[in-house]
Amino acid sequence: MKVLESPFIAENKPLLKKLLDRLLEQYPYASVLAKDSRARRYRVSARDVMAGEDPMLVSRGFVVRVSKDGQYAEYSFNSISEEELDGICARIREIAECAARVLPDGLAANDYCPPSEEKTVFSGSTEYETDPEDLGDDAILSYLTGLKDQGLAQSEALLDCIVQCNYQKYTSLFLSRDRDLVQNVMWFNGALGMAAARGQEVKMYARSYSMLGGAELLKEMEQGVKECAAVTLELLDSQPIPPGEYECVCTPEVTGMIVHEAFGHGVEMDMFVKKRALAERYVGQYVASKLVTMHDGASSAAESATYFFDDEGTMAHDTVVIEKGVLKTGISDLQSALTLGSEPTGNGRRESWRRKAYTRMTNTWFEGGESTPEEMIASIPYGFLLENPRSGMEDPKNWGIQCMVNIAREIRDGRLTGRIFSPIVLTGYVPDLLKSISMMSKKVSLGGGGYCGKGHKEWVKVSDGGPYIKAKIRLG
Amino acid sequence: MTEQILAALRQLGISVYQLEEDRAESLECFYIRKNLDLKRRTDVTGIRVTVYRDFEKDGKKMRGSSTVQIHPGMNAEEIWDVLAGAYRVAALVSNPWYELPAGQKEEPVRSRSGLAERSPEENMRLITEALFAPDRYGDVFLNSAEVFVRKNFRHIVNSSGVDVAYEVCDLWGEYVVQCVEPQDVESYHQFSYRDMETEALQKDVEEALEMTRARALAVSAPASGTYTLLLSGQNVKTVLDYYLGRANTSMVYQKFSDYAEGVAVQGERIEGDALTIELKAKDPYSPEGIPMQDRLLMEKGVLRTLHGGARSGWYLGIRPTGTYRSIAVPVGETPLEQLKEGPCLHVVSFSDFQMNELTGHFGGEIRLAFLYENGTVTPLTGGSVNGSLMEVQGHMTFSKERYRSADYEGPFAVRLQGVQVAGA
Repeated sequence: MKVLESPFIAENKPLLKKLLDRLLEQYPYASVLAKDSRARRYRVSARDVMAGEDPMLVSRGFVVRVSKDGQYAEYSFNSISEEELDGICARIREIAECAARVLPDGLAANDYCPPSEEKTVFSGSTEYETDPEDLGDDAILSYLTGLKDQGLAQSEALLDCIVQCNYQKYTSLFLSRDRDLVQNVMWFNGALGMAAARGQEVKMYARSYSMLGGAELLKEMEQGVKECAAVTLELLDSQPIPPGEYECVCTPEVTGMIVHEAFGHGVEMDMFVKKRALAERYVGQYVASKLVTMHDGASSAAESATYFFDDEGTMAHDTVVIEKGVLKTGISDLQSALTLGSEPTGNGRRESWRRKAYTRMTNTWFEGGESTPEEMIASIPYGFLLENPRSGMEDPKNWGIQCMVNIAREIRDGRLTGRIFSPIVLTGYVPDLLKSISMMSKKVSLGGGGYCGKGHKEWVKVSDGGPYIKAKIRLG
Repeated sequence: MTEQILAALRQLGISVYQLEEDRAESLECFYIRKNLDLKRRTDVTGIRVTVYRDFEKDGKKMRGSSTVQIHPGMNAEEIWDVLAGAYRVAALVSNPWYELPAGQKEEPVRSRSGLAERSPEENMRLITEALFAPDRYGDVFLNSAEVFVRKNFRHIVNSSGVDVAYEVCDLWGEYVVQCVEPQDVESYHQFSYRDMETEALQKDVEEALEMTRARALAVSAPASGTYTLLLSGQNVKTVLDYYLGRANTSMVYQKFSDYAEGVAVQGERIEGDALTIELKAKDPYSPEGIPMQDRLLMEKGVLRTLHGGARSGWYLGIRPTGTYRSIAVPVGETPLEQLKEGPCLHVVSFSDFQMNELTGHFGGEIRLAFLYENGTVTPLTGGSVNGSLMEVQGHMTFSKERYRSADYEGPFAVRLQGVQVAGA
């Protein structure tokens, strides 16, 4: 079934068109983005129940962008009516003309040409099997409670079992002189986490689930309960890892974090504009093993970061960033493309209509190879299987890596020994790591349970993944 | 709109509720080098309503809740539907009963910040001037910056009499410093102030320029091993966040923390400095309308206060204080130069320094460090720190020098013994 358009957006479209027409009389470029996002979250643990709207994702509002004298200005607001149009236009004029009042001596303003757009009219919806709104809060909470009870029944040593899910169903409308675009999208995420104590230390293991779709995802979570409990208890026997460079096999989740954090941020082309990305100098050169082909794009996969057009009205792409080890191109928002003289790739994304658009990743992943995970483990005399990524931080300027993973399983003579180490910090130089990739599994999987920040803010939904990979990695 | 919501709550028979109304406006400027790349303005209003529902389950008194957002422009029918939906959900949320904070109507607390007296544009001009003033060297410069000037008015009302309001004016932002020779490097910095602190910002930018220049000289990672580690600036706050997080009633209620008042949470044997931490109230009220005031969190290593919201506080039998994020710590007695006495690795900058409040592990990738050894100072970059606060908390030494940020005031540096570093 297809996600339906928000009645709020449909009802307000004539008024937004009227606002756009008034702005186009005054400015060479004007656009309006309207977004209505419904989102709910559910969380059940041994001591807590929570159900209701997801405050991070529920929102309804508008952002207007205009170009005046080569400068861009934006106005974000969430109240509109026929009577308010004069006031909205006045505030847009105020911000469009404020440069002289806010700039101290010695600073100037950038000069842009307005974007040229092809005439495009589009309306599209993603699909789902089970609408969480039809399934209902009661059924969702009952299901999560059942999983929580199953989880806690696995062992008395478990301190807690936290089961949660959330979804976002949104409509966005983009209007400019040449664009009339509307999209209706829904994704669904779930997570299963368990905790156990070792003295003062609380060890936690969590698995996430995600899909472009609806509550049909819930049934996948059931299969993770036993594994989640077992690994949580295993963590009680974990030790700190002796620092060093090791041959490692990364699960698709860890591969995804490396793809996203180590390389993806470095090809965001707003970083090229600021001369903050080393990747700009390496286009056309080998930056990875010949086994590596990397994609990013809202249309490159069906996951949590899939959409039809971005927050600047550019249609979604499937961008091949690295092809057989050679860096081909970056990904771009509209304003960066105007500066660089390149084509925008549908990666202009906002945390919400309240925020600025930046170049952001969407679904970012490596293509698969020819091996199996078992063959990869069997090829390692001494090393580690890395699992369960926790967080990472980009370094586009210097291609440094910081990724945290929860578990490193020891491999000796091609077999897992059963010893585990935790927590683990991955560091190193991105091209060294990517060029060291010597095996990749056929199987590729993506996960979209997380959010991505730009620096330390601007959270957007992303997915990432790839195959199992074998590489040399510095662990500490 | 508040009256419309209250009327709908009455009609629906919802007698226990909380409303949080926010009216926020901001002016935002984005710079690439010394050029304004984009300017933005935002005007956003909204009301979050939490409805509570009391019921019995297995003979126990329960109180469920659910929170919804009321958007501007919603008509009476939409408001009714949204609140009725939330009330239905609240009946499914089986949490043990607890009491909402009680209060009365108070005079709104207006911001006394100088920011409130000037226009957003004037504030933007002054802070931008301060931000770029130190950018005068050529070899090291501000690559890009984002500056936000913000004003927010918050009004909190609940069914137990709380009716409070306050205004916050602040400015915050981030900037990236670049140095191109002898190697092209950058560093990332944030700032946040509740007044026009131009001198403080200029000083921070000067230090950031100097630090980035030093990073351009660093070429190799430290050797792997166990180090005496010196952390400074905001990284000290990140380490101390462990105690702040563990002392939250929500963590204690969930049994993720065994902290209790009177417990020696820094360990029984403290051979370094014993920690005293004060909780600092940045806003006059918590999001639940609880009046916030400065409190003692720890005194010489012993926990004095558990802090947190109404629900977990009630379950633990503790009067709720609201949740605190800002702390003040008395400075130590050891001068920074003495703390650097080697061998010692002073990590000045991480890519993202993290403290896990559940495990006590801290770590991150090293962007810039100085190794003090045999009378020499070597700039280093790369590798990672992976330490456990539980193992080092008995041997912490704090500097005499002071550091201040939006959420921390206290020693500039802390020296930790025996921390694992993965390096070259």
